Amino acid sequence: MSQPPQKPDNRAPRASSDPFELWRQIYETNEKAWNAVLERTVNNPAFAESSGKILETFLAAQKTVRDNMKSYLEGINLPTREDIARLGELIVALEEKVDQLDDRLARIEHAVTEGSKSSAKPPSGTPRRNAGG
Amino acid sequence: MPTTPGDLLSDRAVDMVHAVLSARDVPVGTTPHELIWRKNKASLYRYVRQTPPAHVTPVFLVLPLINRAYILDLRPGSSFVEHLLWQGFDVFLLDWGIPGDEDRTLDLSQLLTRYLPRAVSKASQAAGGVPLTILGYCIGGSLAACYTALYPDSPVKVRNLVLFTTPIDFADAGKFGTMTAKGVFPVEQLTSVLPLVPGQMPDMGARLLSPLPTTMGTYMRLWGRLGDADFDLPGWQAMFRWVNEGVPFPSAAYRQWITEFYQDNKLARGRLHIDGRPVRLADIRCPLLNVAAAEDEIAPRSTTSAIMCLTSSVDAQEIILKGGHVGVVVGRAARTALWPQVTDWLAARS
Repeated sequence: MSQPPQKPDNRAPRASSDPFELWRQIYETNEKAWNAVLERTVNNPAFAESSGKILETFLAAQKTVRDNMKSYLEGINLPTREDIARLGELIVALEEKVDQLDDRLARIEHAVTEGSKSSAKPPSGTPRRNAGG
Repeated sequence: MPTTPGDLLSDRAVDMVHAVLSARDVPVGTTPHELIWRKNKASLYRYVRQTPPAHVTPVFLVLPLINRAYILDLRPGSSFVEHLLWQGFDVFLLDWGIPGDEDRTLDLSQLLTRYLPRAVSKASQAAGGVPLTILGYCIGGSLAACYTALYPDSPVKVRNLVLFTTPIDFADAGKFGTMTAKGVFPVEQLTSVLPLVPGQMPDMGARLLSPLPTTMGTYMRLWGRLGDADFDLPGWQAMFRWVNEGVPFPSAAYRQWITEFYQDNKLARGRLHIDGRPVRLADIRCPLLNVAAAEDEIAPRSTTSAIMCLTSSVDAQEIILKGGHVGVVVGRAARTALWPQVTDWLAARS
């Protein structure tokens, strides 16, 4: 029985011909051990404390940049990022007001519907009046 | 056809660079859906069904704030949403969207009192005024649990609560707990300087939990798998895209998340107040399904297991699966190990 023709695959893994393969195998063999060392370094309180300090320093620098940019933009009469954000906040607040009105309208509508339903229905236990009196 | 090792190396290198760079354009979240409601950046979607739902109770999905919502609808064949639709559920998804500087004061309290109740109400209305199953993932699960506890007498009843890898008790929050400890992590300074906490920051924290496999290992494995004819490249790209498309956290919400949840553990201790009202998990009485990952480092078992004894749910079940925070929910194994179990549980209660 003849074999079906094999689909040529020019991307088939050929460990010997891929110079990167050796490096990948070394990495895969050692990943667990290397990662354990890194994890021990990174996930301890001392590392957390020092990264907290680095973050604090970065934030202090960031604040200086933001303050300077704000002063500069104010000086040349241009809106700052905060001004634009404030405008956005006003729109969001306005949307919330509309939502609150919408909620109140829905509650009123619900109450009216329930009210008209109960007034249309004779109270239970009350004998129905004969149409002929 | 590569003839020398150099050719092979350069071909593979080109393929790899292409795979990484084109990942951002790979289609995700493609299941047809329609917009039901919108508020600020948040959007409520309803997935389009070709047939009427087989189950009365729709499923309302609450996603984490720091990730793109398409994770539960990654791509055809790898979509939990698609699975829910196939199993006859009406599906709604609340996408928190991408906040801007104007949302710096948006905190979790507002999300729980102004956004979630309205979205739940709109979903219920759209489905004909029926109770809902609320299914939350990660931080979305914490919010879903808070919501269910806060509104036990809401006009829209929560029929079932399902939590996917959801941290509740932060007394021992693992490595994230160490990183965000009081006096170590400058959360006040961070949230007062930046209107939004960049999406890269929580992502970097997650990578630090297991530094090599989440950085160099990603590319090493890709290199090896590019030579495999059966490698699902679009699937890899979709996940790569999701991992690298972090969403910024509004400063106020981030501060509340770190201080009140991580540092003070108020939710599990029953000391969390939202809009002046206490959040008591014991007020949750509906059926509860808690899905946890045994090797989860983002929401370790110590944080996810507590919900089982903090609620008053008589019908409470826990599924613990082997795997990590994301893998158990959307990985290849989830299609057979988790999704059918979840839909069977829901079908029996819908």
